[in-house]
Amino acid sequence: MTGNLENSSTTVENPTGAVMVIGGGISGMQSSLDLANAGIKVYLVESSPAIGGKMAQLDKTFPTNDCSMCIVSPKLVEVGRHNNIELFTHSEVQDLSGDAGSFQANIYSHPRYVDVNLCTGCGLCELVCPVTEVSYFPELPAEGEKKKKLRAKEKRIVKGDGSVQPTSLHKWTFTVDEETCSKCGSCYRACLQGAIDWQKKSIAVIDQDKCTGCGACFIACPEKYQAITVTDAPDFGKSVGAAVHARSELLVKEFARDQDGGKNCIRCGLCVITCQKVMQIGALKMVEEGIEAGVDICQVCGACVSNCPVDFLNIDDVTNREPRPLLNAFNEGLNKRKPVNIFYPQAVPRVPVIDETSCVQLNSGACGTCASICGVGAIDYAPKEVETEIDIGSVIFSPGIEVFDARMRGEFGYGLYKNVVTSLEFERLLSASGPTSGTVSRPGDNKHPKKIAWIQCVGSRDHSCDRDYCSSVCCMYATKEAFIAREHDSSIEPTIFYIDMRSFGKNFDGYVTRAKENNVRYVRAMVSRIFEDPVTGDLELRYVDGSGNRQTEIFEMVVLSVGIQVPQQVKQLAGKLDIELDRYGFAVTDGYTPLATSRPGIFVSGAVNGPKDIPETVVEASAAAEAASAALAEARNSLITLETLPPERIPAPDDELRIGVFICHCGTNIASVVDVAAVTEYAKTLPGVVYAEHPLYTCSQDSQERMRDIIKEHRLNRVVTSACSPTTHEPLFQSTLQQAGLNKYFFDMANIRDQCSWVHPNEPELATEKSKRLTRMAVANATAGEALDELEFDVDSRLLIVGGGVAGMTAAVEAAKQGFGVYLVEKEAQLGGQLLNLQRNGDGKEFGSFLESVKETIEQDEKIRVFTSSEVVDQSGFVGSFESEIAMPTGATRTVKHGAILIATGAEEYRPEIYGLGEYDTVMSQTDFGAALESSEDKDWENLQVVMLQCAGSRDEDHLAYCSRVCCNHAVKNGLRLKELYPGVRVDILYRDMRCYGLGEEDYREARRAGVNFIRFDPEENPPEIKTEESGIEINITDPSVRLPVRLKPDLLVLSTGMVPRDTEELASMLRVPRNDGGFFIEAHAKLRPVDLPSEGLFMAGTAHGPKNSSETIAQAQAAVARVTTLLSQERLKMSGIVSVVDPTNCAVCLTCVRACPYGVPFINDQHTAEINPALCQGCGICVAECPAKTISIGRFEDRNIRAKIESYTAS
Amino acid sequence: MLPCTGRIDEALLLKAFENGADGVMVVGCLEGDCHYISGNIRARARVKRVYAILEQIKIGPNRIRMYNLSAGEGSKFAAYANEFVDQIVELGPSPINLARGGGVQAAKEEETT
Repeated sequence: MTGNLENSSTTVENPTGAVMVIGGGISGMQSSLDLANAGIKVYLVESSPAIGGKMAQLDKTFPTNDCSMCIVSPKLVEVGRHNNIELFTHSEVQDLSGDAGSFQANIYSHPRYVDVNLCTGCGLCELVCPVTEVSYFPELPAEGEKKKKLRAKEKRIVKGDGSVQPTSLHKWTFTVDEETCSKCGSCYRACLQGAIDWQKKSIAVIDQDKCTGCGACFIACPEKYQAITVTDAPDFGKSVGAAVHARSELLVKEFARDQDGGKNCIRCGLCVITCQKVMQIGALKMVEEGIEAGVDICQVCGACVSNCPVDFLNIDDVTNREPRPLLNAFNEGLNKRKPVNIFYPQAVPRVPVIDETSCVQLNSGACGTCASICGVGAIDYAPKEVETEIDIGSVIFSPGIEVFDARMRGEFGYGLYKNVVTSLEFERLLSASGPTSGTVSRPGDNKHPKKIAWIQCVGSRDHSCDRDYCSSVCCMYATKEAFIAREHDSSIEPTIFYIDMRSFGKNFDGYVTRAKENNVRYVRAMVSRIFEDPVTGDLELRYVDGSGNRQTEIFEMVVLSVGIQVPQQVKQLAGKLDIELDRYGFAVTDGYTPLATSRPGIFVSGAVNGPKDIPETVVEASAAAEAASAALAEARNSLITLETLPPERIPAPDDELRIGVFICHCGTNIASVVDVAAVTEYAKTLPGVVYAEHPLYTCSQDSQERMRDIIKEHRLNRVVTSACSPTTHEPLFQSTLQQAGLNKYFFDMANIRDQCSWVHPNEPELATEKSKRLTRMAVANATAGEALDELEFDVDSRLLIVGGGVAGMTAAVEAAKQGFGVYLVEKEAQLGGQLLNLQRNGDGKEFGSFLESVKETIEQDEKIRVFTSSEVVDQSGFVGSFESEIAMPTGATRTVKHGAILIATGAEEYRPEIYGLGEYDTVMSQTDFGAALESSEDKDWENLQVVMLQCAGSRDEDHLAYCSRVCCNHAVKNGLRLKELYPGVRVDILYRDMRCYGLGEEDYREARRAGVNFIRFDPEENPPEIKTEESGIEINITDPSVRLPVRLKPDLLVLSTGMVPRDTEELASMLRVPRNDGGFFIEAHAKLRPVDLPSEGLFMAGTAHGPKNSSETIAQAQAAVARVTTLLSQERLKMSGIVSVVDPTNCAVCLTCVRACPYGVPFINDQHTAEINPALCQGCGICVAECPAKTISIGRFEDRNIRAKIESYTAS
Repeated sequence: MLPCTGRIDEALLLKAFENGADGVMVVGCLEGDCHYISGNIRARARVKRVYAILEQIKIGPNRIRMYNLSAGEGSKFAAYANEFVDQIVELGPSPINLARGGGVQAAKEEETT
């Protein structure tokens, strides 16, 4: 099979220019953005109440330790505010009909009970909701019947140690309504203060001097008369529940001041009022001795406990039933939540959902507090189920994964031992916005653990629970969690128990090395059991160490590195969509079309396409967007709406300054060190500042909407944020300014996170002072700001691809499908790159026929122009409008124009001169061996003895310092193929860590079963002694599995030598793109922009980025084309307004700028003055500083801007 | 923050001293690795000129220094900052601040590209 490259290019007549993306995690978000930015309408369907997925739950990310929320938050906002992405959260795909190019889908949206359009996300409903448990709701009366009053059979008196101290603080006033009073005397009998005067057949009178406001009379007055009226009760007009909450809040403040208030009942009566008047249960009653609880009729909603202002009541005191706490799923059940709940603080949309299982109003009709308090009337308890029919051309299936249920590994006691947690739970414990606000404490007793163990491969590489695959991410996340835990508390001693350290990704080994240097201990051992000490809660781990000795070790906390798996409901959904899954539930795809599912028109991305980390997921997400839109190219821009910005307000020169300042908490990132309230107050004192506030997350969608409103409301003409890095967040804030009709350059940003809270965590006062100073400087700079125009220019829709290997070829084919012209430049005489030296891909399919078919496609495509034996020798221009010179084999050069550049220069096999490689025929590389295996010549290999040596020149400071990622799988494949062809051979693979990540683990397992022998070595402690001579090869090594020395005398020694990038030094310097120590190109962002180069308009794909296999390369090439498409599909682009401008009045034509500019942009025009083409200007400002006449200016970095900053630095 | 150290000029550096800075640190890309090709080389020359001026006007040349760093060298940046601050603390307040009667204020301007 040549893959369904043709398959996906099958042209459909009049395709629909829209795509449905299923799953709103990082994968679905990236796909949606790439599609929507390329003119395709997107419907994003997410089953949970908000987008963000697993990445939103993570604390930090490896290997850069970037804060996960900080980097994902701008994506959340961008998706949330994108004109061409329609969000369906809390929704499911019901069914899908039609064919590729023209599908119809039905989306069912669960009732939210909160109107997404009305809700402002203020969170007040969640604050006032008194319910904390899943109630045992009383039976509803049958139709037409009256509700029966519940009568308790079992009663208990709840009282504290001390005496009851009635309080009359913030008391409500109770009076008897003479009109409705039935003169029954119930109130008189209920009052414990003797404050009611009543005689038979007379109206009761309350003595306000004696009344403490407990409300006993209010409760006792029969429902049919309701003769007690309540006044002086804030929020009583909204609902009793709201009033109870309001008084409770007031009392909490009083008693927090008076610490002695503590554990004694203050007889405020709020619990009884809640139970009777809000929940309509009436299980509580105030009596002389304390509170009488009808424990058998209590519905266990928890409202009385949460409304108690002095923490006197406990849920167990008032019921004889087992409370069922309502746990917060986002925090992995580590804390409780309310039935009305915003999924997480930065959620998009930031709109709560009311939980149908626990909300009292939805189940019994009582309460209703949240609706009564909602200022915008967004809450409606009538269920609104919505079904939406949509027309789409393609579908992207990226529903994500869940973690393994650790209960299945009973020996670790998860679920039984409280201090055994999963890695995802630990992630929430580390998170500043998690249940412990980032304090590492163990769930059992909130103690700060010192010794923490991580156990790897829980639900991975485990045949016993049908998880034969490797989850690919656990080694790295465990390392990260251990690393970060020590960052939170340096006294923590982390130990990671592992089988193989699979740090196979880009810069991963270096990260593990840093963790080791940072006192993270790694023990290669499988833990067999955990026992809990019931008294201390500590945990005893049993394992066998490297020398074969049984060990027991005590830890205070254990983290299970749980694997990832496909959730049951995802498997069901795949069934509905009719796409094929493997036995674990991962999508079945072909190595040559890694994103195409078994059903044409449906593409897959993310961990549901096999376990993977964030950057690989982002690559696949872009790739899936490309694959999904290739067939829809002709329908591009047919269903989208273009963003219209309001006209810009041009401030008059004499307008008064109106500066707004926003000081960000960044959760606790900034606020835990810097006193943000003090900085805000300080900002208000600065000249020109008319408004200042300190949002929890300034970048969140609701804060951004709020900022927009504030700009309008306060007629701001300058905005300053003191938050995080402008590199990541400035564009977001600037676009908010634009949406509010303000020029985006009337903005400045102070980085008080990196430069204050992060670098001065131990000096909060000084950090606060520095924040004030930076804010002051930003305000001064914004004051000096001016409106700048952004130049618009045409985009050339052609793409230049450098490198004609599998990455370049795939990219060329895909870019042509997207409708772009392609120049494909290959240094060698023929296309194919490294694949020409390789035999088969991961699926066992031959590369030869695949290459032929792709070559044919390229040759036949008129849009693709191939230059073989050619090189790019010069390059100029800028994003959207580049010009390159190609040197051709004839010696001639040709200049081509194009809008973007894709680097796909690839890599080749490393050929070190070690162990006689290149000297003896008996020593060969893994690639040589693969070729020999498949060659047709006669070989007498029946009884061959082969030794394969892994990391021969990889992970070695003298050779390649990095892991080449593909060698372990390559060796296993070749070993298996050898065994298949010649069953009698003996194969020994000497390895350090078998890094058969993902589903490669299955082959590793298969190879062991087929009799391939694996011997582990350690270059320090147990290096193999290898002698290669003309006479033969001899290897001595200690096999740790039997702990005995082994002597091997193989006929062949096969070296897994790793991968080196091709020489790109000249290219890199010509294009001004950075490379790392290994010579691989450095991406714009390791996590979220894995195929973008730091310079605009430049992208990369394939092994030029880092070692990877062919299907990963193909995916990356498609991803790069998706990114290219977001650019080349635009007719016009906007340039930055920050460019140098010459004022000709003072120009002396001295040529200083002409000489100074590193890009050769300034020239002398026919008016005989210097001129700078703004489209070519890079905005460095060198000419501005050099110009002797000071007649060149650069927006935003004018002398007056810099002076304003310098002057405000010292002024206080 | 500047687009490039190549944007800074002598007048602005001296302005910082005039405004009470006891020391000025200019931090640019590694030489040969400038994001704008050669901006940091020009900055180095300007810093050198300011160095000479500071010597001439008896403010002390060691109050200005240019450092070169890559964006990935956070810990090195911290080490340089500490080193420079120590140096300035040792030199004490600048004569300008002394003349104005100001106390020791180890002020630094951080200009990164």
